[in-house]
Amino acid sequence: MKRRISIGLAVVLLAAVVVAIVFGSGDDDPVPGQGAQVVRGVGGSEKAAFFADARVVEVFGRHGLRVEFDSAGSRQIATTVDLAQYDFAFPSSRPAAQRIKQDKKVNKVYTPFRSPMAVATFAPIVDLLTSQGVVHKGLGEYQVLDIAKYLELTGKGTRWDQLPGNTAYPVRKNVLITTTDPRNSNSAAMYLALVSHVLNDNQVVATPEAEAKVLPAAVKLFIDQGYTQSSSEGPFEDYLAAGMGKAPLVFIYESQFLDRQLRGDGSIRPDMKLLYPQPTLLSEHTLVPLKGEGGRVGELLSTDPDLKRLAAEFGFRTDDPKAFLDLLADRKLSAPADLLSQAEVPSYETLERLLNEIAKYYR
Amino acid sequence: MKRVIATVLAVAAVLSGCSSDAGDEKPASQAEAGKLRVLAGSELADLKPVLEQAAQATGVRVEFTFSGTIEGSEVLASGKADGRYDAVWFSANRYPQAIPDAARRLGAQAKVMTSPVVLGLARSKATELGWVDKPVSWSDIAKAAADKRFSYGMTDPSASNSGFSALVGVASALAGTGSAISATEVGAVKPQLKGFFSAQAMSAGSSGWLSEAYQRRATGEDPGAKIDGLINYESVLLSLNAGGKLPEPLALIYPSDGVVTADYPLTALKDAPEHARADHKKLTEYLRTPAVQRDIMSRTHRRPAVPGVELDKDFGTRTLVELPFPATEQAFDALLMAYFDEIRRPSRTVYVLDVSGSMAGERIEKLRAALVGLTGASNDLVGRYRRFHGREEVTFLPFSGEPGQPITFSVPEVDQRAELDRIKQTAEDLDSGGGTAIYSSLERAYQHLGAQPDDGRFTSIVLMTDGENNSGTDLAGFQQAREKLPERLKGVPVFTVLFGEGNKDEMADVARRTGGKVFDARDTDLQHVFREIRGYQ
Repeated sequence: MKRRISIGLAVVLLAAVVVAIVFGSGDDDPVPGQGAQVVRGVGGSEKAAFFADARVVEVFGRHGLRVEFDSAGSRQIATTVDLAQYDFAFPSSRPAAQRIKQDKKVNKVYTPFRSPMAVATFAPIVDLLTSQGVVHKGLGEYQVLDIAKYLELTGKGTRWDQLPGNTAYPVRKNVLITTTDPRNSNSAAMYLALVSHVLNDNQVVATPEAEAKVLPAAVKLFIDQGYTQSSSEGPFEDYLAAGMGKAPLVFIYESQFLDRQLRGDGSIRPDMKLLYPQPTLLSEHTLVPLKGEGGRVGELLSTDPDLKRLAAEFGFRTDDPKAFLDLLADRKLSAPADLLSQAEVPSYETLERLLNEIAKYYR
Repeated sequence: MKRVIATVLAVAAVLSGCSSDAGDEKPASQAEAGKLRVLAGSELADLKPVLEQAAQATGVRVEFTFSGTIEGSEVLASGKADGRYDAVWFSANRYPQAIPDAARRLGAQAKVMTSPVVLGLARSKATELGWVDKPVSWSDIAKAAADKRFSYGMTDPSASNSGFSALVGVASALAGTGSAISATEVGAVKPQLKGFFSAQAMSAGSSGWLSEAYQRRATGEDPGAKIDGLINYESVLLSLNAGGKLPEPLALIYPSDGVVTADYPLTALKDAPEHARADHKKLTEYLRTPAVQRDIMSRTHRRPAVPGVELDKDFGTRTLVELPFPATEQAFDALLMAYFDEIRRPSRTVYVLDVSGSMAGERIEKLRAALVGLTGASNDLVGRYRRFHGREEVTFLPFSGEPGQPITFSVPEVDQRAELDRIKQTAEDLDSGGGTAIYSSLERAYQHLGAQPDDGRFTSIVLMTDGENNSGTDLAGFQQAREKLPERLKGVPVFTVLFGEGNKDEMADVARRTGGKVFDARDTDLQHVFREIRGYQ
């Protein structure tokens, strides 16, 4: 089932980095959030840097709020994290938000940020995979990693050094996208959503038969990687710091890459390239208010022009596509305005069942 | 179960006023804002100056308690870390992440620095092998090792992450499947692994001790044959070179088919108090700033964990391929058990055991329990790997006023239970009474070893005593006699265990002269010490 979605209509977003630090929260920080009402939230690590940013803290401060944000995997948020201490949950995907919404009987949720999933890689790898027909120009004006072709390679357990004519990266390791740990991280669940769609003949997985059909190949994509990290910042950081030998292909949120480019700190070197999978998949960061001022945070993120602009600074797409694209153009960067051929994310229940099946192979 | 790494305690104390026991029930210290109680790998002691500056800059002080990765994972999994520590900081989270009960206690993590595990060889040896500035694979290394073209030291993979990483690295590369090695694939590469490990000439429970011992051997300070190289963190090898004490520098061999890299994630515990999690954020943010990353790189020779910090030239410019690392406890266990029972060079150990009158009561009971613990009676994570293994030869030499009769056990490769039960029975039957003839008994141990064939086993002596020598040869007499021993016996290290009123200076002297090490069991569990020594045998 293919849909055409204008990616631009996303709402605000955030970016990734490290382990969060809430600048406004230290005792030694007298300015921004002084006397403000503290709002506590929990969400994916890729949004931590946004909430930690002094400008973001300042805008919330103007509205009398001080947001303290803890990082946790979206699956953990939906299952194991004690949500009683938080005013809002901010998982990185709609299915996880849906689950919390149901559990906590919340009526209104906000989807202020969206980010397509992407694959961070390097120029020599792009050239190599182009020569193998795995990377090509997609339906839009951007290069895609053809997931069906990629799955042909992984299905056979192809190693890099077995690709014909490969002198650029003759490594004795399987051609395999590096993901996070499917047992606790949303980006791995998004990867599963994507590959399951292609493995199921480009249909969203919605029946037990389809689950059984996609599972063997999907399990292998995770288990063959061996150890995976639990948050999306981990593998992206390896990509940035350790380079091609460790992480030739890394599954990330587009926002993670754009955030680094927008910072202009030199961490994205000229040979670092971003590919979009075909089909593409959108991660919809959804804020679920739990109590107190949680809902106001969702509302502000969705409506405050300054926060939307700042979200774009962190690489997130909001419901103001023009602001996002203008900002990129202003910094001499670019990202596709529209992403075509969208895969659909399975329901929370289906995704959970698949993830639980995969988890069994880690025992 | 107590866990102490005696050697680093001094450092730890300076750093922090640290407690010595990772898993004891009483709190290491009270939780308080501005202090992070961290269960950590001992090699992090070298971050002391960095952490002192961090405390100045962030107001967050680190209080270290040192432990090995597997031991630390077990502390986490058992729940004994709950409320005692705010964070863990091992060379990697791969191991705890594979143990479900440990994994679920891990919270926010931030990588602080990285270092691959590689082979360092004396430059002349590397040149002789034609390995300088040329791609060398693990297969090349395994083949040369099997042909005994070089010898090396490596840490015990159940005690130290560098040994564990090396074992996973060489096994994965030899399996050559391109994906993480599985339990079933381990079997296929056993013959090649056996060849690779036949050249291992030294084992150790910690990366730091291994590097010091290598240097002492290389300079002739320690007895025993020179060793050509060691497998260790790149940072340890570069530090050895930078120290300038080696007669010739090490050439670093980065296997072309891949390495396993430590990435030192400072990891908050999920249930740590809120102030501790805030302190963790503050500290990791600081440690990951470019200036601090550069400071860490220049002081410790570890690579930066964050982008944008240029590498010093010592690190070279090659692309390091990272090998996939298994994610399951099952795969780890298959590899470790095969290593101990089938692959590694088997060991031969003489336990010289004080059963004099002063050992009566609680002491002899502790000794019995410590020995029984090595027969598989404790099947916890660590106990499993530290017990007596297949193909191993163990001799008990109990002594009081004079050396007793040595009793030797040979543990078969398969069906080990009967022989392990015999060891257990013998340990349980140990009885106390009489004087203390330490050195005559030690001489008797050498005599016993001299009568055994030179069959390439890891050979060592463990000397446990709770008092002063009051019978037979004295220390000076022993040292004189030792000088006359054949070379092969002179190189046998004596691991001394201080217990009760044991003579600290004399035990240190014996350990130092034989290239061994002193283990202090006066304030800690004897069983833990006996387990720790296993890493060196």
